[in-house]
Amino acid sequence: MLLKISWRNIWRNKMRSLVIMLSVAIGLFAGIMVLAIYKGVMHSRIKTVIYAETGHLQIHDTSFKKDYEPVFIIRNGLSIVHEIQKFPEIKTVATRTVTMGMLSTTTGSSGIQINGVVPEQENLVSQLNQKIKEGAGFNPNKHHEVLIGKKLANKMKLKTGNKLVLTCTDSSNNIVASAFRVAAIYESDNAPLDEKNVYIRQTELNELIGIGKEIHEIVILLHKDEDLKMVQKKLNNQYPEYLIENWKAISPETDLMVGTVDITSYIIMAIILFALAFGIINTMLMGILERTREIGMMMAWGMNRIKLFILVLLETFFLTITGAPIGLFLSWAVTGYYKTHGINWSSRGKEMMSSFGFNTTIYPEFPDEKLMTTLLFVVLTAMFSCIYPAMKALKLKPVDALRK
Amino acid sequence: MKTVIDAHNISKIYNKDKIPVYAINNVHLHIELGEFTALVGPSGSGKTTLLNLIGGLDTPDSGKIEINGTNITALRSNELIDFRLKNIGFVFQSFNLIPVLTAQENVSFIMELQGMSKTERQNRINTLFGQIGLEDKLNSRPSQLSGGQQQRVAVARALASKPQFVLADEPTANLDTASANKLMDIMALLNKEEQMTFIFSTHDPRVIERARRVITLVDGSIVSDTAQVNIHSTNVHGS
Repeated sequence: MLLKISWRNIWRNKMRSLVIMLSVAIGLFAGIMVLAIYKGVMHSRIKTVIYAETGHLQIHDTSFKKDYEPVFIIRNGLSIVHEIQKFPEIKTVATRTVTMGMLSTTTGSSGIQINGVVPEQENLVSQLNQKIKEGAGFNPNKHHEVLIGKKLANKMKLKTGNKLVLTCTDSSNNIVASAFRVAAIYESDNAPLDEKNVYIRQTELNELIGIGKEIHEIVILLHKDEDLKMVQKKLNNQYPEYLIENWKAISPETDLMVGTVDITSYIIMAIILFALAFGIINTMLMGILERTREIGMMMAWGMNRIKLFILVLLETFFLTITGAPIGLFLSWAVTGYYKTHGINWSSRGKEMMSSFGFNTTIYPEFPDEKLMTTLLFVVLTAMFSCIYPAMKALKLKPVDALRK
Repeated sequence: MKTVIDAHNISKIYNKDKIPVYAINNVHLHIELGEFTALVGPSGSGKTTLLNLIGGLDTPDSGKIEINGTNITALRSNELIDFRLKNIGFVFQSFNLIPVLTAQENVSFIMELQGMSKTERQNRINTLFGQIGLEDKLNSRPSQLSGGQQQRVAVARALASKPQFVLADEPTANLDTASANKLMDIMALLNKEEQMTFIFSTHDPRVIERARRVITLVDGSIVSDTAQVNIHSTNVHGS
């Protein structure tokens, strides 16, 4: 009966209840959209990190990352590549030679990371060819070609076909340099990386720094993200003498960002619902004050305080929860649409998004894994909102309430 | 006869502008099972306050009220709520029903609070609605009932929990003559058939003449207590 009374009570003032239900629906919609956008942005960022920057896993000599010295090669690197390609979980493998150096033109110079790559492999692990905005990429019939990022090209005022000089130290610590021609200008979602990384053929870099056919980096892409831990463990067991890192260790800022964004999205959701709670409290309080005499009458009949509290709680709960399905459905439908079509923010903050390594088209994803937590927030909001009105009701004395 | 209500020396004082005002002043009251008693007196004489005190809705500043041997003035708030549920039925002047419930749900609600089974509740509803003559209004909301019909449902609700007695605070105040007579007929019938004790406050001469005992209050004190047979009265206690 308490269920019946509380449900019918919320419809006594239809407009007032509908306004609150609509507020809950809109609040929940806004909260879920924030979660969905964050989820989409983070997934996109993680995908960019894995599929365009680091791969799932990388293998290095344990000392290599300390100062990127050319001598810290992966001994028998090519035979390791040959062995790990047999792992069923591994989709593709690429090798890189990496050194720090300087790019110079007639007008200036800039510190850079020179990546010696095998174009066919690199295109598979980091989609380098798909990032090209100007030029045609590496031409098999030409030598000493370099791919530079758009941001670096703008900074150094370079265009395709222009000449530049790459300077670095070789394996004997001699300064070596060689001239290259810009074959293409690429642009990724990560402007800072575009400014820092240039790509040349691995054979040419190896010759320049004098390491023969050795390599510094093995980049691994897996078929499934879920296999990451297992494959890393397998590789650690098989090659304990090397440093084997996953993308989270290689790009800790991304991992940190994912964790921070999770907390931030919950905080935003909590703030939205906390603000809504005051509207709910107001509505409930008005409902209680309008029904003072009725409550006094029920208390006179012998309705105890626990039942009265349950009645107020149920009313608040219904008032809060009724708007929830509308909010959930709306957010599900809208995220579903934009998951396919994307939200293009390129006109509003391309520079900013790119400087943090984010894609300018966001594909929101419905946060189904956070649905229970979200609903829990809604229930907690209802419980929080009912406390003050319930206290008001419980404090009523039947004899005073009946006089109202 | 069995004593239902025994009030000794009860007083209730309100402080109006820091001046103590006796709403009830040293009242003794003894009500026995099956009585049909009217509390009469001018406005502000303390009729409603006395009903509230007997009904355990308010507590006296001094004195003691015993209902069936239980000293209700010594009961704690929660115990008093439970006591009211099991022992006292109330009919108020107006707004007696929960507007969102139908007539039968209003009556059923109090039995649910008492923990009666569904079958028991339904049987009781059928009996009571037969007695009040509203069998065809079981599923009507209060807003679909006339004032008189609402008061009859309120009487049914007051009796639903099989209380020791029913307190009615000016039950006919907002009713026309026909409705008031009908309500009084029903209360008199239930008093006769179920031996239900009724105590009602009233100004209404139509109601007073139906009472078998009339207690008159003035300034919080009982000034007369008379027994009546039909419209002829016999003074049994006070002046």
